[in-house]
Amino acid sequence: MNTSGSGFAGARRVLALTANTLTDLTRQRVFYFGLIFAVVLIASSVFMSRFSFQQEFQILKDVSLGAMSIVTSLLAVVATARLIPQDVEDRTVYTILSKPVPRFEYLLGKLFGILLLLALCMVLMNALFFAILYLREQTVLSETMQQMASAPREQLDAALRGVRESALNIDLLPAIATIYFKACLLAALTLFVSTFATTNLFTIVVMVFVYFIGHLQATARDYWLHSQGGGWIAQTFLAIVALLFPDLQAFNLIDDAVAGTAIPLALFGKTALLGLFYTTVYTALGSVVFYGKEL
Amino acid sequence: MTEPAITVHALTKVFPVPFRRRSIVAVRDLTLTVEPGEVYGLLGPNGSGKSTTLKIILGLVSPTKGRTEIFGRDSRTVRSRAAVGFLPENPYFYKYLTGEETLRFFGKLCGLGGLALQRRTNEMLAIVKLETARDRRLGTYSKGMLQRIGLAQALIHDPRVVVLDEPTAGVDPAGSREICELILRLKERGITVMLSSHLLAQAQEICDRVGILADGVLVREGRLEDLIAIENRTELVLENASETLLKEIESVVLKSKARLITQRKSTTTLEHLFLDATSRAQTGSGPAASSPEDGQKP
Repeated sequence: MNTSGSGFAGARRVLALTANTLTDLTRQRVFYFGLIFAVVLIASSVFMSRFSFQQEFQILKDVSLGAMSIVTSLLAVVATARLIPQDVEDRTVYTILSKPVPRFEYLLGKLFGILLLLALCMVLMNALFFAILYLREQTVLSETMQQMASAPREQLDAALRGVRESALNIDLLPAIATIYFKACLLAALTLFVSTFATTNLFTIVVMVFVYFIGHLQATARDYWLHSQGGGWIAQTFLAIVALLFPDLQAFNLIDDAVAGTAIPLALFGKTALLGLFYTTVYTALGSVVFYGKEL
Repeated sequence: MTEPAITVHALTKVFPVPFRRRSIVAVRDLTLTVEPGEVYGLLGPNGSGKSTTLKIILGLVSPTKGRTEIFGRDSRTVRSRAAVGFLPENPYFYKYLTGEETLRFFGKLCGLGGLALQRRTNEMLAIVKLETARDRRLGTYSKGMLQRIGLAQALIHDPRVVVLDEPTAGVDPAGSREICELILRLKERGITVMLSSHLLAQAQEICDRVGILADGVLVREGRLEDLIAIENRTELVLENASETLLKEIESVVLKSKARLITQRKSTTTLEHLFLDATSRAQTGSGPAASSPEDGQKP
């Protein structure tokens, strides 16, 4: 089916669909997923006050980024899985696609709506995470100043610098960004699966398998290629698996960020490009399937 | 010669049945045209292929064979849909949107924006008489109101053709009457209407031409008066005729070769009786007998 109108008109239609999808998702109260994150974060911060400040900050960052990754991945799958089947079931897809709206734009509007929702969730979760980290940092700084009131100036400064470096630092940002890239990829893949799925449940079950295979495939690949020698059959098979199931472990930069290791720009760039590549490929595949779908 | 509003040429649609070695033929070699400005009714029982035909015309389903066009443009192209508005059977819109938000959303999809969109939204809400419910969420709308907002969204971009799939299904007689009147107003404005229905009395009232589908095959088609007229019979409706006059007419008929088949009091329809009674109950006035004219012009 041909596209209609200029690129500007197309962008306006996609924008209208994006805004509507975002409204739909927010009114479905999917933000409640964020509550899981808040509970985990607050519970862990209370529990960890008994550790040393280095341990406390490290565990807080580890737990928070881990929870952020799980919550966004869950949200990406569960919220996206219902978008198209719901529209088909309610026949709203008929009224939309009987207007001069190309199917590709419809799909893009749905995807952008969910990506915007994920971005909003990330902003809210990070605001909470940074606020708690900042408050704990201020408390530890104040306690350190009290405890080292009589210590020499240089010693106190070094101690305070140590506290600051182990709390908030810029190395967290690439890890947070890759969590978002992973969620975008999962949303695009879920949208693709939902173009040929008949129920939400089918899409979610498929995505649960994809999630686990995606996280395990790097380990399996290393085992096959290095321990078993890796003939051409194994290599071809693994290449197909890598295309069908994204290497989700590649999007895990949390460990480095928590350990305080600076993430190289090249690695971050490569991960971002990998996320963009998979998101684009799955959106294109979804468009091809949805183009031929009988509504 | 003017270009047809809708052309359906040698259309066949076969749905394969998954995991079984058989398929269902929903539409078989269907050919029809709808001329600009006319109201065309596609009639038939459930499962006769009406909705499938409409979906193919709108590009929602692809034909197995044949083609459909809207003002000469292939239905499969998105451009063809700039000229058409569609109301699906039992439409469910986004319940979280208000009436006004719904029209604005569909207007934006049709390329409207700014003041033009606001003006058109207001105009549509007035046409379907939903101005007072514009800020209510669709989740609180009645079936009839949903059908009317559905009609408004179908008309938001001022289409030249409107396709309505069972527009009065599930709507009470008063709501159904309003929708019929809206369709007739569209016709007055020169908009082509193609509708599917199995409510034959309504189709008879509003359609210029009809096509009857059975098992995906067009079994009858033509102008309504030609299809339902009984060639060798004539009706004579009299007002204030005395008994003497009636007897004279009867004797004249007896002397001729013609045969008087029936002679009876004119009646109204049950629908008009219902509408008259319910509207009187709402306005608080007492019951009144319907006149034959009520039956013809409600």
